[in-house]
Amino acid sequence: VPYMSVKCIDVRKNHHKTKWLMPWGPNHCEKLKDFDEAVSRQIEANDIVFAVHIPLPSKEMSPWFQFMLFIMQLDIAFKMDNDLKENAEITLDVSLAYRDDMFNDWEEIAHAIEIRKLKCTFGSPKTLESEGRHYDCDFLPFMEIGSVAHKYYLINIRLPVNERKGINVGIGEVKDIRLVGIHQNGGFTKVWFAMKTFLTPSILIIMVWYWRRITLMTRAPVLLEKVIFALGISMTFINIPVEWFSIGFDWTWMLLFGDIRQGIFYAMLLSFWIIFCGEHMMDQNERNRLSGYWKQVGPIAVGSFCLFIFDMCERGVQLKNPFYSIWTTEVGTELAMAFIIVAGICLCLYFLFLCFMVFQVFRNISGKQSSLPAMSKARRLHYEGLIFRFKFLMLITLACAAMTVIFFIVSQVTEGHWKWGDITIQVNSAFFTGIYGMWNLYVFALMFLYAPSHKNYGEDQSNGDLGVSSGEELQLTTTITHVDGPTEVYKLARKEAQE
Amino acid sequence: SNWLYLAKLSSVGSISEEETCEKLKGLIQRQVQMCKRNLEVMDSVRRGAQLAIEECQYQFRNRRWNCSTLDTLPVFGKVVTQGTREAAFVYAISSAGVAFAVTRACSSGELDKCGCDRTVQGGSPQGFQWSGCSDNIAYGVAFSQSFVDVRERSKGASSNRALMNLHNNEAGRKAILNNMRVECKCHGVSGSCEFKTCWKAMPPFRKVGNVLKEKFDGATEVEQSEIGSTKVLVPKNSQFKPHTDEDLVYLDSSPDFCDHDLKNGVLGTSGRQCNKTSKAIDGCELMCCGRGFHTDEVEVVERCSCKFHWCCSVKCKPCHRVVEIHTCR
Repeated sequence: VPYMSVKCIDVRKNHHKTKWLMPWGPNHCEKLKDFDEAVSRQIEANDIVFAVHIPLPSKEMSPWFQFMLFIMQLDIAFKMDNDLKENAEITLDVSLAYRDDMFNDWEEIAHAIEIRKLKCTFGSPKTLESEGRHYDCDFLPFMEIGSVAHKYYLINIRLPVNERKGINVGIGEVKDIRLVGIHQNGGFTKVWFAMKTFLTPSILIIMVWYWRRITLMTRAPVLLEKVIFALGISMTFINIPVEWFSIGFDWTWMLLFGDIRQGIFYAMLLSFWIIFCGEHMMDQNERNRLSGYWKQVGPIAVGSFCLFIFDMCERGVQLKNPFYSIWTTEVGTELAMAFIIVAGICLCLYFLFLCFMVFQVFRNISGKQSSLPAMSKARRLHYEGLIFRFKFLMLITLACAAMTVIFFIVSQVTEGHWKWGDITIQVNSAFFTGIYGMWNLYVFALMFLYAPSHKNYGEDQSNGDLGVSSGEELQLTTTITHVDGPTEVYKLARKEAQE
Repeated sequence: SNWLYLAKLSSVGSISEEETCEKLKGLIQRQVQMCKRNLEVMDSVRRGAQLAIEECQYQFRNRRWNCSTLDTLPVFGKVVTQGTREAAFVYAISSAGVAFAVTRACSSGELDKCGCDRTVQGGSPQGFQWSGCSDNIAYGVAFSQSFVDVRERSKGASSNRALMNLHNNEAGRKAILNNMRVECKCHGVSGSCEFKTCWKAMPPFRKVGNVLKEKFDGATEVEQSEIGSTKVLVPKNSQFKPHTDEDLVYLDSSPDFCDHDLKNGVLGTSGRQCNKTSKAIDGCELMCCGRGFHTDEVEVVERCSCKFHWCCSVKCKPCHRVVEIHTCR
């Protein structure tokens, strides 16, 4: 939603913070058409307030919007003798207020003095000819709020001038301030919530079932089983529709919380892939402990920790001051970049490890496959099952990842060539829900298919005995195959295909 | 284009009562009715007219015809009432001006009726919740269409002047619509591009003026022709590419604007300043139509070593400088 700020004149001599200036409606402020008028009336910069009311007339904000994000755009005109300085900084005195009733008083939410860097370019040569043309300025992050609990919001912006301290000097001729508000569509939120509410119990049920299967076993659960279970937990954690509460309560930390939940899930998923590969290595190494994977899991931990710190710095501080942005200061930008780069390096490192492990597994598989006919029936079955389930997971993981990447690219491209119509927006929303549903299904299938089978327990036991007695395969006990796995898998694959 | 006279009516103050509508000069009956029905929008219409005239004068400051206005009707003299290139530009820039100003007023919340695009078709707060809203350009354009085009439509869109004006009005609005900037913002986890929202923003009006000026320079001369039962405008010279929706079209060639001719509303170029060194239309040779020019030395007081604030306060020292000013005979 684009908003145009209205230039108000603060007529009171000493600027008390108690009064709010309304851009329109009853008792709106005294407006300025443009600044030529201000010059002729000898109004000073400090007396001008840019006021924005959110939303526009005859609309209401609602908690279904989930969050509000505002960016600011300055219209700065070029003047020969009032040029924009290099690396100019603009100082904003901003305050935000709310009310739930058209006639109540405004209550202040936040007030801050913020400094933003101006990054502007000028397309035409700086001659007298092109005076009055506008600079091309990057938009500035302005504000972010994690909940929309009130109906009406009001933003008042001042650009105080202090020549001695060099505040707001050399920022060119600011003509207008425009704000663009972004919030989640209420309709999308409803669909999203419905989906989460539906998915939570289904994942929860399969999780309970899975855990029951594991506890039915006489042995302690192995690492892979634990990891799958942890993956289920983190999925459930993401799924639990705590957002319902945001409709009723003013919880601004919802955005941060959502980020953390997502981060945990990603970290879990990445660790799962590594451990899954490791457990199918079919070599003599004893793993079955998380410490055996420190090299691979380490980067994940470091990376997600970095992102967590970064997120805390950005969104965490925004809980206190919605106008805060880490990118506005020199140090902050460097810090943020550092965190992101470290996280990026960790991710690269992780993928290197993963690719290496997958390669190793495939090498082992081809090695084992050639010696398969020579093995005893039990061992052959065991290896065939191992190979099959590895390949199967590999396939669906790749498929899911490819789908995600494709959808991501498509959504980016379609927005690049934006058409304002219902269709484009809904397609993107459909992408997001689709991807989300897909990963849910992935976790669901994982728990369903890789649950240890109680039916073949005895056979597995004998397998294990066989392995131990031959003294070769210590890991046999750790990877219990279920011989009827394939049929179950096929059943599900058919079902998926039908869907 | 008589409604542009609104721009001149600064004395009226804000248009807030129905009676004011009747008093406004230059409006035809249908426009007065629209005025009464859309009182709150009228201030923006006036603002749009002012914008259009300012922009026109800026774009044509160096030409023989410099878009100067008269204090009587018709606002631009007779030139614009004929089907000239200049008329084409004026119609285009004025319809664009109204669309621009109304859209802007929408975004700043001055108008109750718009505020969100969808309300043009009659939306509800429910609709706002479901789909959000884009820039209010659709409302601005729709209003410009109904207000500016009404004059041509009421005459019946059959005369070739009406067709030309309608085409140019539309071209003006297209100059805004086709130059909308798409801006995007990422707002996923920690500001990643997981979610991206794009919206369209109006170009600055100077940009619209530049686009239309280019179209003015490449305007197509057309004549009326009948295809089936409908009348359309086709290029006079059939070898030319047919004009598109965005191009300006004109019917009559323009006078040379050299001599003072009040009957046709041409002010002439005598007394205009010119540029001695330029070979283009702002050069003295062309500007003065070969009549020659005076050169005066004038001492001007300029402001120099100024200290600016972003708004409203300028502290300067006066500097004296002698400059040569050339004026046409």
